Amino acid sequence: MPRFDTLPTACMVWDVPAPARRGAVLDETRELDKFLAEIERRAFRMAQVSLRDPDDAMDVVQDAMLKLARNYSAKPSAEWRPLFYRILENGIRDLQRRRTVRRKFMVWLPGSKEDPDHEAQDPLDNVADGGPDAPELLMRDQAMVKLEGLLRALPTRQREAFMLRNFEGLDVAETARAMGCSEGSVKTHYSRAVHALREQLGEVW
Amino acid sequence: MNEHIPDAELRVLERRSRELFHESVDGLDMRVRSRLTQARYAALEAAASSRRPWFLGKRVWAPAAGVTAAALLGAALWFGLPAGDRSGMTAADNQPSLEDLDIVASTDESSADAIEMLQNDLDFYDFADKAANPDPAV
Repeated sequence: MPRFDTLPTACMVWDVPAPARRGAVLDETRELDKFLAEIERRAFRMAQVSLRDPDDAMDVVQDAMLKLARNYSAKPSAEWRPLFYRILENGIRDLQRRRTVRRKFMVWLPGSKEDPDHEAQDPLDNVADGGPDAPELLMRDQAMVKLEGLLRALPTRQREAFMLRNFEGLDVAETARAMGCSEGSVKTHYSRAVHALREQLGEVW
Repeated sequence: MNEHIPDAELRVLERRSRELFHESVDGLDMRVRSRLTQARYAALEAAASSRRPWFLGKRVWAPAAGVTAAALLGAALWFGLPAGDRSGMTAADNQPSLEDLDIVASTDESSADAIEMLQNDLDFYDFADKAANPDPAV
């Protein structure tokens, strides 16, 4: 039977959080909470831009949060953002791949012409909560809808690079980590995305 | 074809698209915000349980508690309940108590007769006791 001189030593051997470590764990939880609260809405919108369906977007964001918390919460907080977006982008790509397979499979089934991307929406989802004037809101909404459509039409890697760099504000190195590619590739994807969007949107922008 | 677009125009596009995106984030409805908050709490809970030592987790204790409860129940049934003072008792001594349990537990017509017989037995023992020890005062 091993003998322990101090409680922290015993806790280290038996892998129990020692009293001194409890404060650190609490700080880590608070920091993770703050981090997730800060990025969750942007992450959701980025997933929604890519997937269109809000429920699918919610699922991938939730999944990314869980995976980050379970597997990487012990990592330094500076690494969380690229890690989180890497998990999120992987989730989005997986879902898109599954959709493609499902669509191909559905073609072979008789009487299955419905497109899962164009399911009937709840009319209440489109009711505005209030805020800016209706015409201004409409203009902004239309502009955003147009932008979302163009982003969805971009190749996946270009869209990822554009959203991570421009919407989320990651630098080139962080974007490269999030996308799992080199910094040079990020620059290329981003540049192509910006030029493609500019050509599509015209000088009005 | 890309070379003709001035950098300044590209910067305008970046800024404008960023503004639109952030406005759309601010405009998310309460239902979505609430679901995101719930997802965050679930993630924090997952982080807390991943930090917990393995032997403090529910996954370990729930099956262990189940096995212990089953073992205790098995032991209680095997040795009989209530145990009481078992000194000097044989296995045959336990048998009548199980029969009594059958009488009480069964609901058919014959069980009513059995209870009546048990009552008659008690009356007989009461009578025999009084006959053997007559009260001097009476």
